Amino acid sequence: MKCYIDSVVVDSRIQADDIRELIPDALLRRRMSRLLRTAVATAVSCVGGVENIASLDAIITATGWGCLTDSERFLRNMISEDEQLLNPTPFIQSTFNTVGGIIALMGKNHCYNMTYVNRSHSFEDALLDSMIRVADGSSRNLLVGAFDEQTQSQYRIMERMGVFRSQSPGEGSVFVRILSEKSQSSLAQLVRLDFPGNSLNETEVLERYATSSASLLLFNSYRDKGLFPTASAHSFARAVELIRRGESEVVVYNEYLGATPTVSVVQCVG
Amino acid sequence: MEQLIGELKEHLIEELNLEEITPEDIDSEAPLFRDGLGLDSIDALEIILILEKYYGIKLSNSAEAKPIFYSVKTLAEYIMKNRK
Amino acid sequence: MGVVVTGVGIVSALGVGVQSNIVSMREGRSGISAHPSILKTGNILPVGELRMTNDELHRLADIPLHKHLSRTALLGIIAAREALADAKAEPSKRIGLVSSTSVGGMDLTEGFFREFMKDDSAGRLRDVRMHDCGAITSAMAHYCGINAYTTTISTACSSAANAVMFGAKLIEHDVVDYVVAGGSDALSAFTLNGFKSLMILDRQACRPFDRSRAGLNLGEGAGYLVLQGDKNSAPNYYCRLAGYANRNDAHHQTATSAGGEGAYLAMAEALKLANLSPRAVSYINAHGTGTQNNDSAESAAFIRLFGENIPAFSSTKGFTGHTLAAAGGIEAAYSVLSVAKGFLYPNLNFSHPIEEFGLIPNSEFSEGKDIDCVLSNSFGFGGNCSSLVFVR
Repeated sequence: MKCYIDSVVVDSRIQADDIRELIPDALLRRRMSRLLRTAVATAVSCVGGVENIASLDAIITATGWGCLTDSERFLRNMISEDEQLLNPTPFIQSTFNTVGGIIALMGKNHCYNMTYVNRSHSFEDALLDSMIRVADGSSRNLLVGAFDEQTQSQYRIMERMGVFRSQSPGEGSVFVRILSEKSQSSLAQLVRLDFPGNSLNETEVLERYATSSASLLLFNSYRDKGLFPTASAHSFARAVELIRRGESEVVVYNEYLGATPTVSVVQCVG
Repeated sequence: MEQLIGELKEHLIEELNLEEITPEDIDSEAPLFRDGLGLDSIDALEIILILEKYYGIKLSNSAEAKPIFYSVKTLAEYIMKNRK
Repeated sequence: MGVVVTGVGIVSALGVGVQSNIVSMREGRSGISAHPSILKTGNILPVGELRMTNDELHRLADIPLHKHLSRTALLGIIAAREALADAKAEPSKRIGLVSSTSVGGMDLTEGFFREFMKDDSAGRLRDVRMHDCGAITSAMAHYCGINAYTTTISTACSSAANAVMFGAKLIEHDVVDYVVAGGSDALSAFTLNGFKSLMILDRQACRPFDRSRAGLNLGEGAGYLVLQGDKNSAPNYYCRLAGYANRNDAHHQTATSAGGEGAYLAMAEALKLANLSPRAVSYINAHGTGTQNNDSAESAAFIRLFGENIPAFSSTKGFTGHTLAAAGGIEAAYSVLSVAKGFLYPNLNFSHPIEEFGLIPNSEFSEGKDIDCVLSNSFGFGGNCSSLVFVR
């Protein structure tokens, strides 16, 4: 099983001014929270414009916490208004598959649309789904992305749980375009994905997954982005960037938020 | 009536998050849904909430809302007749 | 390699276990009550609530109270265990889990938030430990003897059907030997109020496909199938999962297109994958929530796909309510049993067909019928439409 990475966009590349261009429908845009705008804009940027959404044959999204701002807003109102006079908008926007749904809507695309909400594995689960679909011929042109936001409440709760003693908070969005065939625009190929049942140290990871002594290892580099469920997607983006700059292979290992590790191996395109 | 229409336009812009629109942009007689402003079913629900929150009018289902919600003017007329 | 169903597990307002569910449907006893008894809410609205407290569920599952699991996890554990025991899954093999939920641990979180809102040092952390969807799956994996790949899907009302689909792929690609696939959702004030704000809840018991229908009733529960490859399973499996499809309506975030485009595409593609023509379908377990929108759109899609020859169909949501992420799993389980035991389920509270379409759902429970092929539909917010095809 393997597939080709054609495009990677991280939300840090998106400027506030770009949002209007990337999400031209003002009526759609107005309801979107900061996270939704950022995630959707990143997605559209990844495929190179709204007009390219139509040609996708799979839209797979991943998030660990979902749209916290909207869930919280609805929850707070529900409690303070004693379950009366509730605005439907935050409730609708709080569902985990909202980003995937909005992308499909913008491109009027009826294709396969899935959302994984599985802590620190969410993005890798989405990658597995992609690899499987490419392998059995179900999809050839997939958009896969991950997004999470930090809110004041989420931060406070995690602070009380003691997790920020050794790590910093974070948030972000990453979208990746995956193709079944190699092309001129292929940046890298994803050749292996694994979900080992227990922790591995750096030596063990290289022993098991690296195919040459020239392999680079990104070991728990999710930390660079801070602690949030889909931080590993940013490690993946970094790995693809390293390949683009000339590395032959990068092994990405991440283990955090109490889950077993994930490993992905990215190689240059032959 | 003019004051109510002005007030309504402010509420609509605020509650429906109509970001780039000013009260002057909204034609009181133009359709709110489909054409005109292009509002949708979620907006209809939000407008039902505006009626209850600010004017004490309770609409029990979105079906009876259709003719009332045609334009800002029809909405204002309904409120004038039914406000608590 | 073909995929077969070797285990089934259900918890719903009709009770704990497959038997309680079937017996209730046979006897025409709905699980919808006039208002919640266990869920803390001021809303007086019909719901499909399982009449067991979280403490009682802990005891039933033999899990110490101090573990303080979310209701969603408890429902899921009980149903998944039933399915695994039913399949006689061998612990030495790779047993995976594809679960789904829309609520997650919100039943506990909303209690926490009440305190936290007043003072951010208040509220018990144990109430938010299990908030996210992945946490539910993690707890289920721990208490159900899962030893291989696990994941969590959340695509609103089509979640569990998508979980079954992805589970099938994991079997086909030899990632696992067994997979428990389905979904779980507990009632929560958050979702009840959310649906209320959308004005799609009926103040009476729901009436799927009826002219006078006025909305849905929310329900809770969990439904799981155990899937295996046909080469590896015992010969007495329930049925085959012959087809499946996930498509998107791409019309509006919460409303379905009038013609049910996504629904039509999902059903058509699922049948195509199964290599079957629409004529092969014996029974459709419809999504049939009882909302104006869904039932019309789904009817339109039926007519478009089946023309004059619409098979027997019914919505079982008059019994269970709309169990959201669990719906696709509970109803997949009902569909499996339909093929295996020849059950046809009644569509409760139906009097008059929708004028525009004139479709009449099945009103009587029957068994021992020749049910060769069942189509199970689950459509949800975000335009997600999923269909599963089970055959003998």
